[in-house]
Amino acid sequence: MRPQLIRELEALLGPKAVLSAPEDLMLYEYDGSVELGSPRCVVFPASAQDVAGIARLANRHETPIVGRGAGTGLSGGAIARSGGIVVAFSRMNRILEIDAANLRAVVQPGVVNLDLSRAVEHLGLYFAPDPSSQKSCTIGGNVSENSGGPHTLAYGVTSNHVTGLELVLPDGEMVRIGGKSIETSGYDLCGLLVGSEGTLALVTEITVRLMRKPEAVKTLLAVYDTLDDTTESVVEITVRAITPAACEMLDGFTLRAVEDYVHAGFPKDCAAVLLIEVEGLIEAVEAQAAEISEVCRQHRAREVRAARNDQERNLLWRGRKEAFGAMGRISPMYYVQDGVIPRTRLPETLRRIEEISRKYDLQIGNIFHAGDGNLHPLILFDERDREQFARVVAAGGEIMRHCVEVGGALTGEHGIGMEKNELMPLIFTPDDLALMERVRAAFNPAGRLNPGKVLPMGKACGEIRVPPMPASATIPT
Amino acid sequence: MSRPAPVSFTRLEEIAGGAYVVTDAAEISAREVCGARPTAVVCPTDAAQIAEILRFAAAEKLAVIPTGGCTKLGIGSPPARYDIALDLSRMNRVLAYDPQDLTLGVEPGVRIEDLLRTLAEKKQFLPLAVPFLDRATIGGIVAANSSSPLRHAYGAVRDFCLGMEFVTGEGAQAKSGGRVVKNVTGYDLHKLLIGSLGTLAVITRLNFRTFPMPQAQGSFVASFSSAEAAFDFCRAISHSVLTPQMVEIANPGTAALLFSGEISTRIEPRTWTVIVSAAGQPAVVDRHEREFGRLAGAADAEEFFPLEAAEADSAFVQIREFPRLMIERVPAAAIFRISAVPGAMAALQGKLRVLAAQRELDFVSLARASGILYAAFLPQRDLSETPQALPGTIAEVFQVCRQSEIPASAMLEWCPTEIKTSPDVVWGTQRADFELMRRVKHSFDPQDILAPGRFAGGI
Repeated sequence: MRPQLIRELEALLGPKAVLSAPEDLMLYEYDGSVELGSPRCVVFPASAQDVAGIARLANRHETPIVGRGAGTGLSGGAIARSGGIVVAFSRMNRILEIDAANLRAVVQPGVVNLDLSRAVEHLGLYFAPDPSSQKSCTIGGNVSENSGGPHTLAYGVTSNHVTGLELVLPDGEMVRIGGKSIETSGYDLCGLLVGSEGTLALVTEITVRLMRKPEAVKTLLAVYDTLDDTTESVVEITVRAITPAACEMLDGFTLRAVEDYVHAGFPKDCAAVLLIEVEGLIEAVEAQAAEISEVCRQHRAREVRAARNDQERNLLWRGRKEAFGAMGRISPMYYVQDGVIPRTRLPETLRRIEEISRKYDLQIGNIFHAGDGNLHPLILFDERDREQFARVVAAGGEIMRHCVEVGGALTGEHGIGMEKNELMPLIFTPDDLALMERVRAAFNPAGRLNPGKVLPMGKACGEIRVPPMPASATIPT
Repeated sequence: MSRPAPVSFTRLEEIAGGAYVVTDAAEISAREVCGARPTAVVCPTDAAQIAEILRFAAAEKLAVIPTGGCTKLGIGSPPARYDIALDLSRMNRVLAYDPQDLTLGVEPGVRIEDLLRTLAEKKQFLPLAVPFLDRATIGGIVAANSSSPLRHAYGAVRDFCLGMEFVTGEGAQAKSGGRVVKNVTGYDLHKLLIGSLGTLAVITRLNFRTFPMPQAQGSFVASFSSAEAAFDFCRAISHSVLTPQMVEIANPGTAALLFSGEISTRIEPRTWTVIVSAAGQPAVVDRHEREFGRLAGAADAEEFFPLEAAEADSAFVQIREFPRLMIERVPAAAIFRISAVPGAMAALQGKLRVLAAQRELDFVSLARASGILYAAFLPQRDLSETPQALPGTIAEVFQVCRQSEIPASAMLEWCPTEIKTSPDVVWGTQRADFELMRRVKHSFDPQDILAPGRFAGGI
């Protein structure tokens, strides 16, 4: 006899929309992070009304609810840390409206990020946030995590591109905030909700801005023999106030792994490359590309070359976007970080990461959104080596502390989740956190929505969480 | 309205220093908010003092309204209570400016004009071309979310403010966001403070990203015989690959008010006038000029021409100061700030013009192609003769904005105090999300001491 909660959920959604067998739940125990957690069941609503019904049921059964898109998140945001119901939005994947005249689209949360851009491509439009996982991650997930991507350097993160949301509150009430217009009178609730990591409400509909594709794009690859020359180039580009659309850095170690996998034509014998893209009117692109090339050469770039056509450009970007996947070929697991630093502190920060790598005897690959100071050190490890994993966690904590020390932040786009919530006191005072807790309680008074995320639970203050050893050695991509 | 409150000056003087608790009649009246006057003006020098003042106020149930340049105290509904004006003008330091990193941290009392001058020394700026530029402070601009024509190219405060420090209604010092250009660490509480009119917290520090000044700039005027043609031109721009800095559409009444002879003898104020500008490398500006001209021609422009630098500067100032010029010339004006999608702008302003005509009100409008419409209703005669003309129109404007074919969000930014008989007059009737806003307010200010009654839904 199945438990009452499961039976009620099946009655609400139909038996096919509820998973509760242990073998089915295993697929929903993890996301793109190194965290794990088992839900009691996974449900697949088809409408906002379904979601509201689920919330009311969960409320009656005093059970946690965790929203989930594609499960590509990198901080454990979609993991049922305290069990309960995982609300998977994969059936709510319709683009409800494309309003090209007003540069807006209305989508359900389960729409895959890249699918939206593809759907509006023929209109010369696209959706700007472009996380590496954009082929699979959902816009609902992007909203929860306030996702970024390489091109957010010029165009901003998800919150800059959301104008309206439909919410289901934990008690099942449905509320609309914002709309299609660029602003709505009253407090900027959309600004609060985007990036709240599913702890304030479940999002059932999203109104996003669409951008017009630029007339011209130029993608440059600058190749360096030292890391310092690479990072100094980024500083100089920032100082000269050139704003490329994207400015990515891959170090030599990462490049070699990527090149063996993607064959994008990256040089395998260099210390690092910058992948820089400029976009806009033809006139602007030519002038910016010339200035960037000059900066790179002044900083001893061995070579600066431009992609000659779309195919070359796509290959370079494929190399960047599949870098995480490439790492999976050379290491059983990796731990990806997401710290942010002021852009002018890049050179010293990379030197610090090198020191930490040596200190803990760990291989760290570096892939950065260099242009906005958002670091993604990838610490490689073998999940069977418990002792090594402890060093990984310690090294990660040290990198994050460095980011905080130089005036940075714990996460630029991956979110706090259950990975870094105990590190929040490094940045925030008890008063800061108490206010965030009160705001959370204003939406989520019983704390049943995505419990154990974002805010510290107070058990291990100031420490990065040592996650349970991943049982299944799945490589997140 | 304000009741006489038992303000303990002794305690305030202990906190801020005797010289910084002011009861001088002129200072008090300068901080009047919709007819309500404080008992005292207190001028703190740092966040710690503000925290003490607010803890005291919370304990004594004294209502506090933060003030800066006192240019926008007329925005919002009349406060339910008002005991202390918290004058932040002493907190006017630039705390951190790293031009190399293009980031900035400032106190709220910095005057925007001074700040822009500091940034200009490093060939940088903030895209805040806002009304009352000579007196407004950065804290006030953010608290009122003042509209800037430059939003079109650079975004609004919510897009380039990196974080804030503030003191809550309980007197707790708190912060959110940070000082780096990309950050998702914790809730973005500071976004709630933008446009909150001081009802959630007192801002004590604001961090921004700064912007490099463009190499070259060009401003152009296109004039049209009809609204449809003017908006067609703007639509064509937004559907092109062009990247204008601003696109402003003045109706004939607005054009007549803003662009009189001293700005340019060439602007014909009886037409629909579109002012567009472009910035960047000289070749980029040239390209915009060519393409703007082509698109204007295609939209049947009566004229299209570039403005001389001095003309462009003057026109920019007039556009920037539009609401201020309007209330200075017609103190009884009701000026709505309406956010609407670009495709709805032409129809919306057409409907509003009809409403005005029905009540024998003059109507002037300035539309920003970024999605903001200033719509001003100007009484032709003394208000006492037609007491229902403005209130009746105001209610109808909110109704029009709620119609589904024109999704728009309106607030009545400026109007005579005597018309503000309920919060609905300023904010429109209750919306479902007002309840969420009340809960947010309660989490920041549980004793309801910060600008009570000034915000949407009676918050």
